[in-house]
Amino acid sequence: MSSSKSPSPPNTLFLSLSFLFPALVIVRIALSTTGLPDILKNDHQLASPLTSFSQLQEGIYLFNHDIDPYSGGTFRHSPLYLALFTTILPTNQKLCSILWTSCDVIGAWALIQTWRQRQNVKDSPRDSLIAATYLLNPYVFLPTLALSTSTFENTLILLAFMFAAKGQKSATLLSIAFLINLSLSSILILPPILLVLITDPYSHLASPRPIAISSLKKTLPLLGEFLVYFAALIFASSIVSGGLSWISQTWGATLTLPDLTPNPGLWWYFFTEMFDHFRSFFLVVFSIHLLIYIAPICIKFQYDPLYAAFLLIGVLGTFKAYPTLSDPGLFLSLISLFPETYPYMNYPVVTALLHVHASLLLPLFHHLWLTTGTGNANFFYASTLVFACANGAALLDCIWSGLRIAIAQVPENYVVVQE
Amino acid sequence: MDQTQYHHPLRRLLLRLHERFKPTKNKSIALVRRRKALLSLLTRHLRSINILLFLVGYLWMLSLPLSYLSRGTYIDENALQPSQVNTYWNWGDVHTADRYLEHLERLRDMNATSDQRAEFFLSEFQKLGILSYIQKYRFSASGMDGTNVYASLASPRGPGTEAMIISASWLSRTGEGDGTLNLRGVSTVLALANFLKGYSLWAKDIIFVVSDGYLDGMHAWLNSYHDVSQSNLIRDNLMISSGVIWTALNIDYPGHSFSHLGVYFEGLNGRLPNQDLINCFSRISRFTGGVPVVLYDHVDSAKLYTKVASWVPSVILNHVDLKSYFSRLQNIFRHFSYQVQGRPSGVHGLFHRFRIDAFTVYAFPASGPHGFHAIGRIVESTLRTMNNLLERLHASFFFYMLTDHDQFMKIGSYLPSAIFISVALMVQGLQVWVSASYLRRKIMTSEKAVSTKENWLKRKRPVTPILAIVLGTYAVGGLLFLSMETSLSYSNNEKTLPYIALLFACLPLSLLAIPPYPEDDVAPLSSVLKAFNLCLASTVISIIVILNFSLAALLSLSLGITLPFSSSSMSIPMRLLKYIGYIILALSWVLWGSQLTTTAFWDWEILGGWFAPFVCIVYVPLVLQAGIVCLLPP
Repeated sequence: MSSSKSPSPPNTLFLSLSFLFPALVIVRIALSTTGLPDILKNDHQLASPLTSFSQLQEGIYLFNHDIDPYSGGTFRHSPLYLALFTTILPTNQKLCSILWTSCDVIGAWALIQTWRQRQNVKDSPRDSLIAATYLLNPYVFLPTLALSTSTFENTLILLAFMFAAKGQKSATLLSIAFLINLSLSSILILPPILLVLITDPYSHLASPRPIAISSLKKTLPLLGEFLVYFAALIFASSIVSGGLSWISQTWGATLTLPDLTPNPGLWWYFFTEMFDHFRSFFLVVFSIHLLIYIAPICIKFQYDPLYAAFLLIGVLGTFKAYPTLSDPGLFLSLISLFPETYPYMNYPVVTALLHVHASLLLPLFHHLWLTTGTGNANFFYASTLVFACANGAALLDCIWSGLRIAIAQVPENYVVVQE
Repeated sequence: MDQTQYHHPLRRLLLRLHERFKPTKNKSIALVRRRKALLSLLTRHLRSINILLFLVGYLWMLSLPLSYLSRGTYIDENALQPSQVNTYWNWGDVHTADRYLEHLERLRDMNATSDQRAEFFLSEFQKLGILSYIQKYRFSASGMDGTNVYASLASPRGPGTEAMIISASWLSRTGEGDGTLNLRGVSTVLALANFLKGYSLWAKDIIFVVSDGYLDGMHAWLNSYHDVSQSNLIRDNLMISSGVIWTALNIDYPGHSFSHLGVYFEGLNGRLPNQDLINCFSRISRFTGGVPVVLYDHVDSAKLYTKVASWVPSVILNHVDLKSYFSRLQNIFRHFSYQVQGRPSGVHGLFHRFRIDAFTVYAFPASGPHGFHAIGRIVESTLRTMNNLLERLHASFFFYMLTDHDQFMKIGSYLPSAIFISVALMVQGLQVWVSASYLRRKIMTSEKAVSTKENWLKRKRPVTPILAIVLGTYAVGGLLFLSMETSLSYSNNEKTLPYIALLFACLPLSLLAIPPYPEDDVAPLSSVLKAFNLCLASTVISIIVILNFSLAALLSLSLGITLPFSSSSMSIPMRLLKYIGYIILALSWVLWGSQLTTTAFWDWEILGGWFAPFVCIVYVPLVLQAGIVCLLPP
């Protein structure tokens, strides 16, 4: 399955994982100890109201002073954060920077493990490249520098991938339970991950075969186990926050969009402009829109559920409520897991250029609107549209190449079309 | 049925089109055929499309001064009501201004220090009963220091949450602050303070600022007002503060009398004030004050024109259209020269950093006929208009190009010129990228030497080494910037700059050592790099175009004309020669523009202008990449 590359170049030592991984980690930790977190902390593109560090600190302060942080409408983090940050985790910003960066390091390590499992090898020359695509991806490391809690979500997704690829069922289900507790919309990746657990993580993209319907029954006990973990976490959260009010403030926010702070996603502008009497209808439409992708993608890619999970992460990065740059960033970094599809991509250069344009336009138009005051909200919205186009282009190309690889090379003068 | 219906030519055409594009057989085959036909049509004409895009872009740029692209200015915000009030500024106030002027002239003649001058301004403001204070500042890097004086007239009718500013700097903007004193500007501000406090119709606080130096004083004052810290600036904190400043008017009156009032509006990093402000002033000046308005100091609009075209017969020379073309051209050139460098064209430009709409009124020195009487009335009426504002200026344009004092271009009439060039570069970049993956080969048959048949060999494109080279050029740009900055700020020695530039120009020569790829199935590095280079240049132009059109236009001239011609060749001397050509384009500004370089770095150090870092970190790497394309083996 793996596209074995040409023999490794002479400078293997320099590119070997044992050299490059520590080097990357050192660079990242050095970056996190600079003054950058202070500058980036309140950037709308790097931290949404649901993931912002300032809001987390405010919630912790209120919690420590025996005020219900969920009564105010500013704090929208999960109670699990409250529990962890008031007990074992540091709240000091310098220490937090290092904590956040080490989460990314764990994520990168999980990504390498997933890759090795998928290829079924002990180690490979691509390991360091895969670590670099995660640790050096600006969409990933800028939100981490801004101390956005989306970093934890990404790490949990990658851990779930790793455990699922290794077949460690309970660990997978527990990480997903944590993940969904932190961010409700991540429920999209639960079905494909369950499918990974009952099949295998290897690449079957080139040789599709239907999954046995009878084997689907095996997901039921897994689902049950997941529900137990999930319920336990809900119970824990309720005990921490002293009631159920946290549910409407955290999960409810992703469904009802009470805070219209601009972000790089598609929801905020739409609902700013909307008349109030249409609001609930479109909230339902937008939320269900996310869910309708699950079934088709899982059915079409039933022979390679890991790829289906990857595609659904792309859907989340493009369409979810309150995204930060780290959501599409995770999708882009995950592309490195599937090199077998590269030759079948239609327009990787166009996608890359769209992303270059979008990543320059987003901060620029944000600056024109909110700093110099010469632009307005439409400017930033236009740049988020470019960004959505870039993410959509990446997603569509990945869907195409994932399907196209099954037909393999065709003779000259033959064309593959989709009917 | 009616037969004639089928014979209608349009109907027949539709039927034929339908047959051609929607045959009833296999839909997929039709789809593939259609797609192929469209693609081959595109690829066959790609070169001509590309040339056409370039041509349209450059022709559009040439036609920017045409009157067809401009339209008349108008007031968009209804609340402003310019020139609708009776003015009360009178000869008594002119006399007050004259008395202040006498004092100032005495101060000038006795070579008073900044502190002495500030003491005088302070005492005058205090005599008027207006709360006023002194602010000292010092720039540690360049050793510039001075003393500002500011006074705040609390609004009798408002809560004091909004403010407007009347300011004058000690040095006039004449010759970009060459040392000409702005004595009459300062006396106007003092006399206005005396005059304005007598009226109770102000809904906003009025802050009077007499700033020291040319740009430095106001920069320090504004930093204090908005509590922005800057590492190389030591300054006193302000003793009073008012609300949000919405608008500011800077008065520059260096001569004895004036014939025209000139408007300067370009701000730091190319930011422009809302056009309503300029339009209001322009109307008030003409209808209330009776003073003609010009852009900048372009009183004699055809100066450039007669200089350029001295050999043209006078019949053509005096043609009205041509004359107006050149007068607009002159205005556009001046606008470009400020906006490209991101240099404020006057003290007002510093306000723009804090989202304050501001401009400078420049009293064009002449032997007459206007003086304090006219400028006082105009400023009074302009203040009344600014006082009418209910919200921040937002209605009119922020992106525009004034071609005359009452004519402007909307963004839609100048933006496409640079966008066309950007698209042309992108098209060519993608073309190079696609064609790099194919090699045309003649099929060799054993019998005949060369058959007429050809086939296309698909080859790999090396992306990782190219990305490394591209990142390397940006690193070189960053290092160039840092080394120039340290050389200028520490040793203050601009003579070292050419050596630094030469050092960085020699760095890429090491790439000559790369041997050509022996295999046929890998595309040469140079063509892949060229594709990246063109796409990046296109991206930079199309992004910058919104922020600073002048800069984008300059880039589309310098990059659009040169980058498409980069290519490798077989002989090493030829490659070197081409490389040197690009290096001259990238770095020669260090040699011929040392004044420009030091100004740009001064702007960066003191004011935070982006031009110097932009050139080093964005422009130089792009041209360097084109140079490396020439260096790399074919």
